[in-house]
Amino acid sequence: MADLTPQADIIDENQSLWETKRQPAGCTLCHRVFLVQEAIIGSSCPLCQKGQLETQPARMRPTAPEQMLPFKLGRKRLSRIYEDFVSGVWIKPEDFRAEKLLSRTTAVFWPLWLVDSDVSGHWEMEAGFDYQAETYKEAYSGGQWQSRKQVETRVRWEPRLGQINTHVENVTVPALEEHENRLAMTGRYQLDRGQPFDPDQLGKALLEVPDLPPEEAWPLATPQIEREAAQICKQAADAQHIRNFHLKADYQNLNWTEFFLPMYTSFYTDDEGQAQIVVINGESGEIRGPRMASRKRGLRIAGIMAVIAAVFLALALFGALLTLVIPPIGLIAILFGFMGLGLGIAAIIPAVWPGQWNRKQGDGPRMMPRR
Amino acid sequence: MPTNQSHSQPWSPPEQFVLVESSVPGVMVYAPQPETTKSDRAKSFACPNCGANITYDVSAGGVACEYCGHIAPVKSVHVGRNAEDFEFTLETLSQSNRGWGTQRQILHCDSCGSDLSISESTLTTTCLFCASNKVNVITSLEETLRPRFLIPFTVTRDQTQKIASQWLGKGWYHPDELARNAILRKFVGIYLPFWTFDTQVDARWRAQVGYEKTERHYNAREKRWVTRTRIDWRWENGKTHLNIDDFLVSGSHQRHISQLILKRLYPYDMNGLKTYQPDYLAGWQAQAYEVTLTDAWASAKKAIREKAKTACHRDIPTHHVRNFSMSADFRDESWRYILLPVYLAAYKYDNQVYQVMLNGQTGAIAGQKPIAWWKIWLAIAAMLAPGTLLGLIGLPLLLVGGVGIIAIVLGIILFVLGIIFSFILYNKARESEAK
Repeated sequence: MADLTPQADIIDENQSLWETKRQPAGCTLCHRVFLVQEAIIGSSCPLCQKGQLETQPARMRPTAPEQMLPFKLGRKRLSRIYEDFVSGVWIKPEDFRAEKLLSRTTAVFWPLWLVDSDVSGHWEMEAGFDYQAETYKEAYSGGQWQSRKQVETRVRWEPRLGQINTHVENVTVPALEEHENRLAMTGRYQLDRGQPFDPDQLGKALLEVPDLPPEEAWPLATPQIEREAAQICKQAADAQHIRNFHLKADYQNLNWTEFFLPMYTSFYTDDEGQAQIVVINGESGEIRGPRMASRKRGLRIAGIMAVIAAVFLALALFGALLTLVIPPIGLIAILFGFMGLGLGIAAIIPAVWPGQWNRKQGDGPRMMPRR
Repeated sequence: MPTNQSHSQPWSPPEQFVLVESSVPGVMVYAPQPETTKSDRAKSFACPNCGANITYDVSAGGVACEYCGHIAPVKSVHVGRNAEDFEFTLETLSQSNRGWGTQRQILHCDSCGSDLSISESTLTTTCLFCASNKVNVITSLEETLRPRFLIPFTVTRDQTQKIASQWLGKGWYHPDELARNAILRKFVGIYLPFWTFDTQVDARWRAQVGYEKTERHYNAREKRWVTRTRIDWRWENGKTHLNIDDFLVSGSHQRHISQLILKRLYPYDMNGLKTYQPDYLAGWQAQAYEVTLTDAWASAKKAIREKAKTACHRDIPTHHVRNFSMSADFRDESWRYILLPVYLAAYKYDNQVYQVMLNGQTGAIAGQKPIAWWKIWLAIAAMLAPGTLLGLIGLPLLLVGGVGIIAIVLGIILFVLGIIFSFILYNKARESEAK
């Protein structure tokens, strides 16, 4: 029984790693840990906007990251993304504006583990091989038959088993406990476009520190390595499909490195003064986050409409009284009456709509509070 | 703390798995052993006791030596209708079209060491030098195109003579002395190739269907009520489903085996199918397919779609149909290549040679039979005579009064009936002689 994963070290709060001129700092509230430039110490946490980033030691592996995906979006593109994001909401909070979101944007790299391993053992699976078969459609019309041949692609399943003695490289494994939620916020990345880690490409971005050390991420790594092994076995068997793949293997010479993925975060405050985090995938430009409507503004608009409606109704009443003296005014009174009534009913919409809209926003992905 | 689990103990693949080529270095791939077995190789049959030639004995149900009496049962599995069938893969179809590859093939006799040249469709032979029986089915390029199932002979050679004699004696329009004078040659048992097809057919039809409607109206000119029948045409549609199971198509060419006679031997009971074992063919003749799978399926398809058409027509409640159109979608099509037992014989009568076939499973017999044409003509004359005579009698009676017309009408009816029966009889007689 061999130890598979090297232990993490404690990185001192003043220690700079990987020539990045960044030091460990953690959020006082959500406890996420980042490697940040000194100038950022004391600013709000980009992922919760509730706590502050303060220097602290970090428990992490000192090995330099292996790969990164650089940011691909310029300021203009970000501005357009925010404008599109904001424009979809009718009655929005004062703070929910594209220019504000742009000014509050922070670049963050978040981590994945890249695992290399020797895999040796035996496997079995059902291998699916495509084959083509003929089938026929016959049609009879006007006393004559017409035959139409169709070629269908079907799958023949056959058992295959064997031994594997191979090396898998760069199997991606979650490095954050909230990996799934993070991925739901950012959307997918094209991981095959990873570049070697280069501190010069970091810019002012924060580097998020893994909170799943290799020893805790190992149970998540094995299925990924198995999946990789399954693909290798599928290729070895010249199969087009596989199912029921089972592997019994030894994993040796494990190597864990980090892969950093780019994302932008920003925020706006809603009616209740809560910071709502918005995330943009730094590669694809996908934007996710709650788009809250303002109930307060909705009620304000509804109130104004109600007052105008009341004025119209009062004018209608006054007009009705005047009809006793000048009968043609009755028509104007009716018109005012209808306008007042219509506006009064329409006032319900801005009062109710924000609540309905916000309820729907609860279903979408959002940055979850941590611990 | 994650640790590795040791799986480094020696591993060996299960039995019946063989190492196959792997496309990735470092990965060994094992696959189930292909089904090619010893029994598919050319096999010689000699008695393990006395070394004499042995053959499959129908009554013993095994391979028997007629010299020392040694009997070995055939190790075959009864599969019946559950016998494996195959899909119409493009691979198989193209393989089937290529046939057996060579016109002649060399079969090595491992009893005496000589090389025998045999035709491509011959599955069994007897060595010219040592007289040992051989069974050979390895000539097909693809595994599935070798016979995998067969129905063994259940009718013995002794029974064939009795059945044939009885059959020759049947039928009044054959020469009376046929059963006595026919020189019947020995029946030769042969396994003939057949394709069987299974398919599901979903048929949809659309047609104008006519419904007869009787109505009465007053004819002012004739001043009477008239009843007339008219047809109401309506567009209708429907669907029907056909389950085709073991549709049989012969794999032999017409020039070798009369398909007309062969079809009269049907049906074979497919519940009798057994897995192929060369032992069944020992000492018997066997033929490989000459009609390719593609051609056999094409002819089966034609017949099946006509069946579907008939089924659609059966769905229509009246016989008034016009503008009929339909579609038939085939699905789950599959095929089997099997060998079925047939006895072939010929007999000589009046210097003419006639073919006879006998179903080796059921004992059904069919074949050519000479016709005593004078009997046929006499019978036809007898059938036409009543009508003609009545008509002739009716003519002079016309002069007497209304009685004549009745005789003439009856005469015509009888004459028409006579023609119909004569036609049937004539056709039957022609068929009896047809090849």
